[in-house]
Parts: sequence; C-alpha cells; structure tokens
Amino acid sequence: MTRRALLAALGAAVVLVGGVGAGAQAPPRLVVQAPTEPPGLDLTATPASATAAVVFYNVQEGLVKIDRHGKLVPSLAERWHTSDNRNYTFFLRKGVRFHNGRELKAADVKYVFERAMNPETKHPYRRDYDAIGDIIVKDDSTITFALKSLNANFLHNVARQGSVIYPREAVETMKSHPVGTGPFRFEEWVRGDRIVLVRNPDYHVKGLPRLDRVTFRFIADPNAVLAALKAGDVDASLFGLGPEHVQDVQRDARFQVIVGDTTNDVILAMNNSRKPYSDVRVRRALTHGINKQDVLKGAMFGLGKVLGTNVDPLNPFYLDLAKAVPYDPAAGRKLLAEAGYPNGFDTVLKVAPQYYYTVRSGEVIAENLKKIGVNVKIEQIEWGQWLARVFRESDFDLTIIGHAEAWDIKNYANPKYYFRYDSAKFQDLFARSEVTLDDTARRALFGQMQKLMVEDAPVVWLYMHPRLAVAKQGAQGLWKDLPVPAADMSEVGWATR
Amino acid sequence: MRRYVARRVAALVATLFFVSALVFVVIRVLPGDPAALIMGTEGSREATERLRESMGLNRPLPVQYLEWLGGALRGDLGRSIQYDLPVGELILTRLPVTLPLALLAATFMVAVAVPLGLYAATHHRRAGDYLAMVVSQLGISIPQFWSGLLLILLFSVTLGWVRSGGFDGWSAGLWPALRSLLLPAVALGLFQAAVLVRATRSAVLDVLREDYVRTARAKGVSERLVVGKHTFRNALIPIVTVAGLQLGQLMAGAIVLESVFALPGLGRLALGAISARDLPVVQGVTLFVASGIVVINFVVDLAYGFLDPRIRYE
Repeated sequence: MTRRALLAALGAAVVLVGGVGAGAQAPPRLVVQAPTEPPGLDLTATPASATAAVVFYNVQEGLVKIDRHGKLVPSLAERWHTSDNRNYTFFLRKGVRFHNGRELKAADVKYVFERAMNPETKHPYRRDYDAIGDIIVKDDSTITFALKSLNANFLHNVARQGSVIYPREAVETMKSHPVGTGPFRFEEWVRGDRIVLVRNPDYHVKGLPRLDRVTFRFIADPNAVLAALKAGDVDASLFGLGPEHVQDVQRDARFQVIVGDTTNDVILAMNNSRKPYSDVRVRRALTHGINKQDVLKGAMFGLGKVLGTNVDPLNPFYLDLAKAVPYDPAAGRKLLAEAGYPNGFDTVLKVAPQYYYTVRSGEVIAENLKKIGVNVKIEQIEWGQWLARVFRESDFDLTIIGHAEAWDIKNYANPKYYFRYDSAKFQDLFARSEVTLDDTARRALFGQMQKLMVEDAPVVWLYMHPRLAVAKQGAQGLWKDLPVPAADMSEVGWATR
Repeated sequence: MRRYVARRVAALVATLFFVSALVFVVIRVLPGDPAALIMGTEGSREATERLRESMGLNRPLPVQYLEWLGGALRGDLGRSIQYDLPVGELILTRLPVTLPLALLAATFMVAVAVPLGLYAATHHRRAGDYLAMVVSQLGISIPQFWSGLLLILLFSVTLGWVRSGGFDGWSAGLWPALRSLLLPAVALGLFQAAVLVRATRSAVLDVLREDYVRTARAKGVSERLVVGKHTFRNALIPIVTVAGLQLGQLMAGAIVLESVFALPGLGRLALGAISARDLPVVQGVTLFVASGIVVINFVVDLAYGFLDPRIRYE
C-alpha cells in the first residue's frame, strides 16, 4: 500500500511539473487483456459488455456520464436543467469535435435519440426512450427533451451505453469502425487478435487522455493471461482473471491487484412458474438452506460481498439485507415439510461453464441443500444453449448466473422474465418508483421493494461478483469499483515511465 | 490415371457437399442462435426477435441452406454475422497464421519423428529404443494445451526469448512473426511427432524382418545401406499414410493451441464462430479445412505410386 501511495505521489508530482522531460520518455501506451472479442463495435446495436469495454467512454460518450463513484456527472452536456421533471434542457459543451473533424451540434443529439426510438433501427434498449415525447433543438448547443410522462430513470438512461452520441455519417460503419467524441480514436481491429485505440488530440477535457495508445488484446484462457502478464506482453487484465489467479499475482511485487465492487449480482434463480418453486415456502426454504458465506468462499475465495436482494452495494438505495434470511437448515427443513416436502425433492441445476463461478457456486450449493433434503443434480450446458433453453424458454428448475446491469431491479417487475416472478404488489411498487422523482419518496419505495423481495424470495441472491483487475505497478487511474460495466481509459496513465 | 483423378475429384465434391449439409444441420439443431448470443441477457426479447428477423434466421432451413449453397458454388461463402465481413476474406486473413503454423508443426513432426523412429527400430529392445518409446508415450499422453503452457512458462516467462502469445502479422517482419509461431508449432508438432515415432518404428521393424533384408545382410551389404536403401523406402508407405492423417489432425490441435497462444488463426476463428453460432463462418471454415484434408489424402495416394512403382491407379 505504501508503495502504491508512493507511486501515486510520484505520478502526481510528474503531472504537477507539467511533463518536464516527457519528450525523453517512451510514448505512454497500455496493452489490456480482454477475455472476449466484441460481437461488433456498435453500441446502438449490441448490449454486449465486451463492446462496452472497448467503445464506451473511450471512443464514444453520452450527454451525461456515470463516473467512477457512480455519480451522474456532465459529459458532452456541460450542464442540464429541469424545472418540472418533464422538460430536460441540455447545454452542450462548445467546440467538441467528432473524430472525423466535424463539430458536434444539438441536431446530432436529436438524430441519435430519434434513431434509437425508431423500431426499424433495432436498438437493444429502445424501451428506455419510451418516455421521450419531443426533442427540440433550441440552438446549436441547446436541446430540450419533452417527456410524455415522468420518468425517474431518464437521466440514467441518457447516461447509458446505448445513448452515446455519434455523427450520422458514421452510422453505416459503426459496427466495425466506431466514431465518437471520446478521448481515443478507433484505429484498427485485427479480428481475432486486438483492437487499437489512439489518443484523440482534440479531446474536450484538457490534459486527457494520458495515454497515446490503448491496445485491447483478446486472450480467453486465464492461464494464458497470467503468462502474458508475467512475460510482460500485456500491462493489465481488467476482466479476465478469477480469484485463484489474482492470489497468485498478489504475491508478485511487479503487479497491483484491484479488488472492488460491481453491479454484477450472482443469483440462484428458481423457476417461479414451476413446481415446487411456485410455493414461496419452498423458495424461502432454499434461501435458508444455502450458506452464502460458504458459497462466496468456495467460488470466489471470499472476494466479493454477500447479497440479500438484487440491489447491490453500489446502488444509492442499497439496504443491507444480507442477513435477513439467515443460513438455518432446520428452518429450511421445517418450511419444506409445511409445503408438503418432508423428505425433500430432486431438482436439476443448469449452469454454463463459460462463467466458471456458476459451476463452483453450484457445487457448494448442492452440498448445502443436501442438508435440507434437496438433491441437486448439476447439469452443465454451453452458453448458447443456456440462452436458448433457460433464458428464453424458462426451461429450468434452478440456474446460476450473474446479472451485470445496474438498476436491474426492473426485471423483477417483468412476469415474463426467465425466473417468472409475478407479484402484482412488486410490479405496482416498481411502477410507482419509475415516476417518483423525490429522492426521499423514491428511497422509501426502493426500501419497500427490497423488503418485499426478501419476503417473496423469488431467487436466492448469492453475492456481488467482485471486480478483479490486475495491472503492472505504475499504472494509475484505473477504476476501483465498476458502477457501470466499462473500462474507462481516459484518466489512465503511467506513474514513472 | 486420368480416370482415377476424375473419380477422386467427384469424391471430393460429394464429400464437401455432405460435410456442408451436415454442419448446417448440426449447428441449427443446437439450441441457441446468433441473435440471442449477441443480445445476451441484457437485450429484451423483442429486440432479440427483431435482430433474428433482420439476420434472415426466421426463413425455412432448406431455403437458407440452398441460398448458401448457391453462393458457395459461385465462390461467395456469405458474410460473417459476428464480424460483418465476407467469410472468404476472413479465412484469407487467418490463413497466414494457421498455414505457417501447420507447416512448421509438420516440419517439426517429421524432423523429429522419422529419425527417432528409425533409431528406435534399428536399436530394437535396447536402451535407446526404450527411451524413445517412453518419450513418445509421454508426448501422446500430455495434452497439447498443457505442453503449450509449459513451453510458455519456460521460454517466455522465465527465459523471455519469445512472446507468450499474439501475432502482429508478417508485415512486422519475418523473425518477429516466426517468434510468435515457434512455440505453438512445437507444442502442436510434439503430440503428432509422438504418434509418428511409433508408426515409423513399427513400419521399419516390419520391413527389417523381411527376407530380402536378411538376404542383403547375408551378402554383406553395409548396415547403413540396408536401412537406408532396402528398409526405409519400403517402410515409407505406412509412414506416409500416418503422416497424412496427422496433417489433418493438426487442424484440430490448432484450435486448442491458437487459443492458448492467442493466435488469430483459422482454429480460433472456427471456435469463436461455433460459440457465436456464426453459421456462415463455421460453414466456410469447415469447407475449407475439409477440402484441405481431402487434397492431402489425394497427395498421399499419389505418393504411394511414386514410393512403390507396383501400385497403379486404374
């Protein structure tokens, strides 16, 4: 820690001196390992986190931004204003240029949102813009969104990866060549190997970015990632390593390990539309029967945090309900007997080994549940099959998966979502929270929803998947927590180089 | 000979047709489609459905297959769903990785296996023979991904001689490119060599027991000539057969090793395409590899006639 503090101080000193002698240094570059290659680079066409990791915040930006602390801050809009929560006026930064040299104007913003709202476009988050009625360009740098109805998530939706601003002339090529206003310009994508971004010299935030070049190299195998780190072929791994690898790197003085919070909630989903999980007593029994600390230890070596509901610690309305339904096998057995299963039952847990933590968590849970008489048979299926069978067709008893999106409590208000939780009371609370803008009232609604989740136990919330990143000593400015699934490189630089 | 070649070409076409139909059906029978995989758990059901439709995945299977086949016959293998690039172009950009990798591995395989097999056979039931067999048994038993990782550990992490993975392309220079391919080629060739050592040894041993070898020895021909002229050439037919099959298997090994060494080759392209259900790419790569294997077999068959003049293709 002291070493890191020292390096940070050194880095700060270098910045203060104003880059004296910088000319003599090698140009600052960073090679980052990414576990999966993006299925295209168009944020308005794919919700893939692999795409966001490269493009979001680095190449393309929104009007507003969720920063590293989870706060909503200005981005392309230097400020915004609303007097009635129905009309939001954004004042754009002046003189911002797209990577193709053209200046960003309010008409571009209007085009981007109208395109997102158009069903023909196939935007993955079109529903997020349902509340928008009219978009009025006041002048080149002022634009007003008139909402049809109150929408508490409006600003968050404007900050999302699907709401990035791009020039209309780049629409056709964004899948392979994204153009935006971000700190880095897209340079090349060598399919199967790497994506290279280079510094945008005209970036609208002075002094940023600190790097000349960022290369994302695709290496899927964690052992290969470790080897690449140790051989010095990559400088950082932001998503690809598991807890066992991190422990190995922690002993190596050349590296820093970043353990932080994320919005990735790992859950044991029960099929609420299928017996015996249609009975709340069975669902609660399973919750009592699982020792979440054990699961966290077994799957994540204790890194991460035990969860009580789907609202994670990075959410401003988070309530710590991790101990609301304690581990208590006797209570679990009692509930099962009441529900008509005094001898327990057999059940199948489907997991996709693409996400290693699902299999490991499943093994611990199967052991745990034996004690309340529930015999879990673990069935490993490939990710494509999981998406088709479990996620689309709800053909499952139990499954484990991490839900990475922030504010995904909305899934519990959707009775068709794959775990088929259907509670009129919850849906009503959620609908009210969507149109409640007063912070105290909204917090109260979120509190009620979280308590209702604990009561109804539609799924077992296991743990928050930790952020596990590794970087060479000297790399600075990487996010510790991930309130949004992004890999913001704008403030990343080297301390001493 | 001409009729033989014509027959082989007809068989090649039939094989490719069969392979393409099989791959098409198998990929489609697997649950999961590209639209669902692109949208993951974050995209809505409605958005996924619209994407499916725009990809043309809602049309009847036979229509999709015939369309693809028609394109393939005109040399158009379709467009990758994942990369939005022509499949032919994708294959061509991956070939400069996989082809040299396979050639290097094959060279390594032959250069190690044939001399070692010969040595083991001519030193039958002596220390050298046993040692060669133990080494080859190890080579067969060690999974390629593991030997690959061990090689990385030694040569790039500990010694720092070569890169741990990745490939910057041939434009970066001959030596940097070779440095990226050497370790995976050795890892790939090692396993194949281990198999070929055994094949070589037993083929040579068989010939060494022939009467004409005994005759040659009896009339005082030097051991060098006995092995080099009378034995080796006659043992080549089974060796060439096995080596030909091994060349085909190099492709399967390439899938594993390209992942371990993060090489942008055909194997990794195929693997990624299968997980993404990128059917045009899977079809294209399969066709390409199948053609390659059929051509190798054809060359092996022709080699028989050259090695043993008694073999005629009528």
